[in-house]
Amino acid sequence: MAPSGTVADPPPTSTTNSFNSGDTAENDIRPFFVLHKASSSGSNLNGKLTGTGKSKRRIESPSPKIAKRSEVESVEEEDGQFFSTLRFKVFETVWSKIEKTIEDVLRNSNSKVFSGIHDWIRESFESIISSGALKLSEAVRSYPVLTQASSKQLLTAMVLTRNLEMVDDLLTFEELELHLKSQGCHVAKLSSMDFSAKSGVGGCLRGLLRQFVMPTVDVADVTILASWYRENKNHENPVVIIVDDTERCCGPVLSDLILILSEWAVKVPIFLIMGVSTAHDAPRKILSVNALQRICATRFTLSSPAERMDAVLKAVFLKPCSGFTVSHKVALFMRSYFLCQDGTLTSFVRTLKIACLQHFSLEPLSIMLEHFCHDGVNQLSGEGTGLLTEATMKHAFDLPSVTRNKITRSTFEMLPHFLMDLQRMPNPWSIVVLCIYEAGKFDKLRLLDIFCEILDPEARYLKYFSPSEIVNSQSHNSGSNNVIRRVLCKLRDLSPSQLSSMLKSWENLTTEFSEINDKVMELHPFMRSVEAAGQRQGLPNSPKKHASRSHSKLEKELKAMTDKVATVIEFMLREYMKPVESVPFHEILCFKNVDKLQSALLGDPRGRIQLDLLESHNILHCVCCSQRGTTLLPSMHDTSILYTLAQEHADVINLHDWYQSFKTILIPKSSKAKQKSKSSSKSKKRKDICEEPEAPAEALIQARFCRAIMELQIAGLIRMPSKRRPDFVQRVAFGS
Amino acid sequence: MEDIENIEEDEYGFSRNYFLAKELGGASKRSAHKLSDIHIVDEQELRETAIEMKHAKEISELMSDYKTMYSKWVFELRCGFGLLMYGFGSKKALIEDFASASLTEYSVMVINGYLPSVNLKQVLLALAELLSELLKCKRKSSGSLSKGQETFPSRSIDDILSFLHGPQSEDKDCFICVVVHNIDGPALRDPESQQTLARLASCSHIRMVASIDHVNAPLLWDKKMVHKQFNWLWHHVPTFAPYNVEGVFFPLVLAQGSTAQTAKTAAIVLQSLTPNAQNVFKILAEYQLSHPDEDGMPTDDLYSASRERFFVSSQVTLNSHLTEFKDHELVKTKRNSDGQECLNIPLSSDALRQLLLDLNQ
Repeated sequence: MAPSGTVADPPPTSTTNSFNSGDTAENDIRPFFVLHKASSSGSNLNGKLTGTGKSKRRIESPSPKIAKRSEVESVEEEDGQFFSTLRFKVFETVWSKIEKTIEDVLRNSNSKVFSGIHDWIRESFESIISSGALKLSEAVRSYPVLTQASSKQLLTAMVLTRNLEMVDDLLTFEELELHLKSQGCHVAKLSSMDFSAKSGVGGCLRGLLRQFVMPTVDVADVTILASWYRENKNHENPVVIIVDDTERCCGPVLSDLILILSEWAVKVPIFLIMGVSTAHDAPRKILSVNALQRICATRFTLSSPAERMDAVLKAVFLKPCSGFTVSHKVALFMRSYFLCQDGTLTSFVRTLKIACLQHFSLEPLSIMLEHFCHDGVNQLSGEGTGLLTEATMKHAFDLPSVTRNKITRSTFEMLPHFLMDLQRMPNPWSIVVLCIYEAGKFDKLRLLDIFCEILDPEARYLKYFSPSEIVNSQSHNSGSNNVIRRVLCKLRDLSPSQLSSMLKSWENLTTEFSEINDKVMELHPFMRSVEAAGQRQGLPNSPKKHASRSHSKLEKELKAMTDKVATVIEFMLREYMKPVESVPFHEILCFKNVDKLQSALLGDPRGRIQLDLLESHNILHCVCCSQRGTTLLPSMHDTSILYTLAQEHADVINLHDWYQSFKTILIPKSSKAKQKSKSSSKSKKRKDICEEPEAPAEALIQARFCRAIMELQIAGLIRMPSKRRPDFVQRVAFGS
Repeated sequence: MEDIENIEEDEYGFSRNYFLAKELGGASKRSAHKLSDIHIVDEQELRETAIEMKHAKEISELMSDYKTMYSKWVFELRCGFGLLMYGFGSKKALIEDFASASLTEYSVMVINGYLPSVNLKQVLLALAELLSELLKCKRKSSGSLSKGQETFPSRSIDDILSFLHGPQSEDKDCFICVVVHNIDGPALRDPESQQTLARLASCSHIRMVASIDHVNAPLLWDKKMVHKQFNWLWHHVPTFAPYNVEGVFFPLVLAQGSTAQTAKTAAIVLQSLTPNAQNVFKILAEYQLSHPDEDGMPTDDLYSASRERFFVSSQVTLNSHLTEFKDHELVKTKRNSDGQECLNIPLSSDALRQLLLDLNQ
């Protein structure tokens, strides 16, 4: 059933092929089929991947690429099973820890808004109930028609997401749903998919009933909702409907729903929560006037993506989390991907997950991360776990960071010690980063920018540090983007109150680390004298710049203070700013391969497929085509030849010309001369050629031409001739 | 910062290429050569010509290089990602080989997206049955009580998807692998199918391995689909293998104008119609052959001629025949200079004569 080819015998279809080869398997023309079923469902985890192990061993072919594999990998192959299983387990542990941290951070950032929404619901609900309880018979009737305008108001919460990308807020609204459910509300969540013009208002009513009443309801009748609400004790709690992406909904359908629900507002107290991502007046643009009149809106605002981003970064990399971290280059890539390409937190988290995954699949020692997830590294010394085998030890001491620092096998016993250091290391480092972040807040610096810069192992300030020099050096290569410089510059413009609030936050951050804490404490006397000077002037809060001549005393004190702060920053940077990449054995924790990350995250079919065709010899590594230079050889892949030829044409390609030049390439030079002499006279000649023994070659060339064009069409690189232009194909892609 | 510059440079290069090509098209006169200047062999022959594969050795080496990545791919699947294979060449054999070599622990379902029609609901039904079988086995081995027999055919797509998205047991590894060849294929290109596939990919019991061939395939997906549902990991795996099955449904560029071919297809269509319809067509064809300079036969004339010979009884019957012809592109309507509606067979006289001969046999 399955076409299982081994290396020794390539797939059977490989030598000759025709369009209609009779051996097309039956499976190829079935829309879908089951390739195979799980071999044995009872097998446990240890048995997993046996197939992989085998296939890996099977491919011991003399291919140069495979021969190049590192020793560790081949050793690892022996107990590959063990490591694969273990790696997967450790990855799960590490990633679930990171994921949970991120979820918690996001939940916390929203918790204030969530409880605000809940309070609003409770208060409004109580005021509705107190206006008089209805009997069952009254509540289920659609009459009497309510005439008071106030009783037809639908209480609505507009949740401003401050983020045009809906992806980030999907989770937020899911959390909101859970939060409100846990508080006893009846909650249903609708999305723009439910508000389609196709299914109309009936579709979303049905959706609501399915979520509230039971999943099999197939009628759209709001009285069912009313009677359900009166059943049991349902009426003791409010009904909440969440629409997460209001802007994408079909306006008329949403308007209809609002009109219907508002008619029932007294009988079934419904609260509508609408996620609005553009501006607070967005509903005015999509809802009808009638519907707008029925809405009684209250506004809530979520935190912005940049704020959330900083919070996530802080929790994952700067607070003790999983131990996993990224290198300077990877951080820069993630930053530019966030800023230039996607801009969603979701994609950032996904990038992080891919980085983590790649780290585990590239670095055998990554399994040690497990111990960083738990507290303490006591277990590390145990060889019983099978971690510290001879092979892994060899690999560990071959790591570039280890050889660079001239740590040799003689310091074998030192490994646990180094690892301990690795785990401890981020603490003072992250404290310093957070301190700089606090100072940079006055200049609206983002943690993401600071984080990226501070990871740089080559940073200038690490080698010869002098605050005055940094501030004064205008010609510094990174220019205005130098975070440290910006922080130091801004420091001079801070008002006394800002300075004192910064000091307070520094104090809090450094409580656990006495060395820095002492230095921070030393700043207090200076602060006090600044404050005293400020009080004397009676202008404690005015920024330094606007102080008049008579304030020279305050100015002097401030200058002394900022100098002192700069010295503390200098001290922190000099003593503790060791980027993770400068530490031995950091490869165990730190993901560095930015190319792998990029290619897994951002496929570039447009560029890569064209490059495949234009430079096929680079991929096939064939001897014949590699030295071709700029000339096209008949030995090249047909489609490759044709696409290279296409580059010389304008946006449309004449099929006849294209075919002729394709033919010239395919026919070797010796026979070309023969051909040329023949085709000197015109149409009569063609017949001659047909009768010549070369005729089948013509058919073959045409067949190859057709197939190459078909393959270009599959790749979407050309568009077929239209009726208007039957002799031309159109080029679709221009350059990569 | 560097990246931004790179991106800008790329963009610039792209637009420059585009405008260069446009300019080239405008400045130099387009070649006036016609495709019909080439002596084109019969389509049948074109399709049946065996083409030897170039670089067979290198391609099979390439394939075996990819084999070293199989274990990594399995790892990625188990970690919850979907695999998206792209690069030039058919990836069908590669993916199926990967599935049968390395995914033996999991059930694998293959969807051939390159076919012109794929019914996703049936796919989902089959998947649901596969999963319920799997879960039953699991439950049996773990000894817990099995639920009542579940039947799927009556259920809606939403229900099936929510079944596939059921809670995972402690063993997180219980999933079915869905292989989609050409997820950008013609039958799956519409937004609805992609939505369904995206929802399928996000189910807890499903992992997806898919291939794309079109350079613009990523335009099929929005951010929600990419980040939350498909969760793709991209793999550039050019194989340079011929698109044998994928290309079957594409027309051949050198065959489309060929008269013999269209006459042949027309004959096949006509033979499947009733004798009366065939006779009506013959009247039209004979008229066209005898009046080569006219725009076509006026509909009223055709009606009276057909009625005279008792081929049709009413205008309605004639119209039903004509609809049939038009659907198969055997007949086109046009208005002549008098404003009359005329019927015309879009075939050359030679082809038409050949067709009449075929029909009379």
